Amino acid sequence: MQGVVASFRELDAAVHAIEDLRQQRLGDVTVFSPAPRHELEEALGNPPSPVRRFTLVGGLLGVTFGYWVAIWTSNYWPMVTGGKAIASWIPYTIIGFEMMVMIGALSTVFGMFYVNRIPRLTMTVGYDPRFSHGDYGVFVATDNLSKAEELLRRHGAAEVRGER
Amino acid sequence: MATIARPVPGTVTPRPNIASADVQLPGVRDYEQVDNEIIGTMTPTAGWFGALGLAIVCMLIGASSWVYQIYWGLGQAGYAPPVMWGVYIITFVFWVGIGHAGTLISAILYLFRAGFRTTIYRVSEAMTVFAVMTAGLFPIIHIGRPWKFFWLLPYPNWRLIWPNFKSPLVWDVFAISTYLTISTTFLYVGLIPDIAVLRDRETNPVRKRIFSILSLGWRNSDREWRHFARAYLFLAAFSTPLVLSVHSVVSFDFAMALTPGWHATIFPPYFVAGAIFSGFAMVWTIVIPIRRWFNLKHYVTLNQLDATAKVVLFTSLVVGSAYLIEFFIAWYSGVPAEIEYFYNRVFGQWWWSAWILLCCNMVMPMSLFSQKLRRNTTWLFILSLFINLGMWYERWVIVVPSLSHEFEPWQWTHYMPSWVDMGFLVGSFGWFFMWFLLFTKQLPVFALAEIKEIIPPKMRGGHHGEPDVSGGGHQGPVAAGGTH
Repeated sequence: MQGVVASFRELDAAVHAIEDLRQQRLGDVTVFSPAPRHELEEALGNPPSPVRRFTLVGGLLGVTFGYWVAIWTSNYWPMVTGGKAIASWIPYTIIGFEMMVMIGALSTVFGMFYVNRIPRLTMTVGYDPRFSHGDYGVFVATDNLSKAEELLRRHGAAEVRGER
Repeated sequence: MATIARPVPGTVTPRPNIASADVQLPGVRDYEQVDNEIIGTMTPTAGWFGALGLAIVCMLIGASSWVYQIYWGLGQAGYAPPVMWGVYIITFVFWVGIGHAGTLISAILYLFRAGFRTTIYRVSEAMTVFAVMTAGLFPIIHIGRPWKFFWLLPYPNWRLIWPNFKSPLVWDVFAISTYLTISTTFLYVGLIPDIAVLRDRETNPVRKRIFSILSLGWRNSDREWRHFARAYLFLAAFSTPLVLSVHSVVSFDFAMALTPGWHATIFPPYFVAGAIFSGFAMVWTIVIPIRRWFNLKHYVTLNQLDATAKVVLFTSLVVGSAYLIEFFIAWYSGVPAEIEYFYNRVFGQWWWSAWILLCCNMVMPMSLFSQKLRRNTTWLFILSLFINLGMWYERWVIVVPSLSHEFEPWQWTHYMPSWVDMGFLVGSFGWFFMWFLLFTKQLPVFALAEIKEIIPPKMRGGHHGEPDVSGGGHQGPVAAGGTH
């Protein structure tokens, strides 16, 4: 993958560059920012995150497992008390709830890792340590390097360089 | 963290994150200052080494007590039948309670978009993890044979026996283990972008390698932030009912029993409010010295402390009401054992502990009706110590007077902790502060990324696009949120 990465000191300059890059359809744009900003999300117009599906599936699996382990073990090793139900759903709701939270939350984190493709052992093309510190980075994957470079400079990039 | 917003056509108008829209830090100019000042607190000082040494000594006192108890048996714990729950369960409930404010600040206040949480939530989350780690030791200590603790877990075994899922102690196992897992996960997930900052700044190759592994290759890309924000929101949504459930489950340890003073439906909300109350006090105990010693008063402003003081005042009123309702219900029930028990609690055998509790938890926090005192950090710190004391005594008052004064007069007895009990109590503080002090020098105590969300971004022409910040802090009625 080759492309051009630009470093911006100002937020609005980066936003305008992203909007222009998308308009020109030069290639996929990746933005690096020290903190999440609404302005960048709006300029990129990405769809909602699919992490919620992992949360839903994990939560349902967790609550099912919680009830199941309590009911199954009660029936397997019954403690009969005065004709009361061997498997009592009211106290088992606590186990079901706790397992829903545990597995639902862990699967949320797993989902976030999965869709972000982390853990990642090497830095990918376009990243610069300045982007965690204070600058905004805009990387565009394109073969038309000169046009992308010109566009990014026109929008006030502090530094532009080709990446491969 | 950021949430997904609809596109706004036209020019770029910077907007603060809605999770922190009502907090401003006028003393903080830009992202570089945030990184430099907060990461600057990670350099060890002589005072830090001294505090860590003291914490380790206290922890060793606890460890020695444990070795002694394992050798000589649980009889060293000062139990006097029928008082077979003592300092261990009191301290367990105390530390679980301390942990609650962390999750309240990091998760519940996040969902409620309370901006004052932004700079103190990392400290609170770390406090939660270490407090729950401390609390989790006490049921294991109380077992007497700690190497058998895994019997509480449901696992296939050749004896074909399983835990009793109708027992509150098994609910505790599930609640506490879930709480420890989720609070640790929440802390770590929030730390990933900050560890990436440390990785990018680090020059020592060994530390850089460690930070690289811990940051999982985080790059601050738009994709990562988008999924991170969504995951963080769901984690907060899971943690919110969890924090309420955990102390409710802890309160079931008592409320499910028929013992006078325990068998009350008011216990779950009463325990949850008390936990938040004590947890906020511990946040003050930790944050106020940090902001003073590291000169971070422009991050934790008086307006933010004022907001936390209002939460403390509110929860104090809730627990105070619960104390009074307990007396009323005892009288209204007409049950002699209940009436006798509550009389004994306040005017009998245990009067001193009940009055310590009432003074520390009900009377002294009334001072927070004064705005002047809410903004006096010295007073908040002193008050936090009294609240910590009062909340430990609250659990003493719940556990000891009930067990020592049950239905049958021939069972009535006395209980005093042994030196082994007190060794564990001292050791628990040492264990907690040892982990916390180690944390402060390895990872940032304030969340870099979230604070950067508050700071107005640089815009072309050298001006920041944020609205006027002369008010000096969030929501505060007093302008120029002073930082002394």
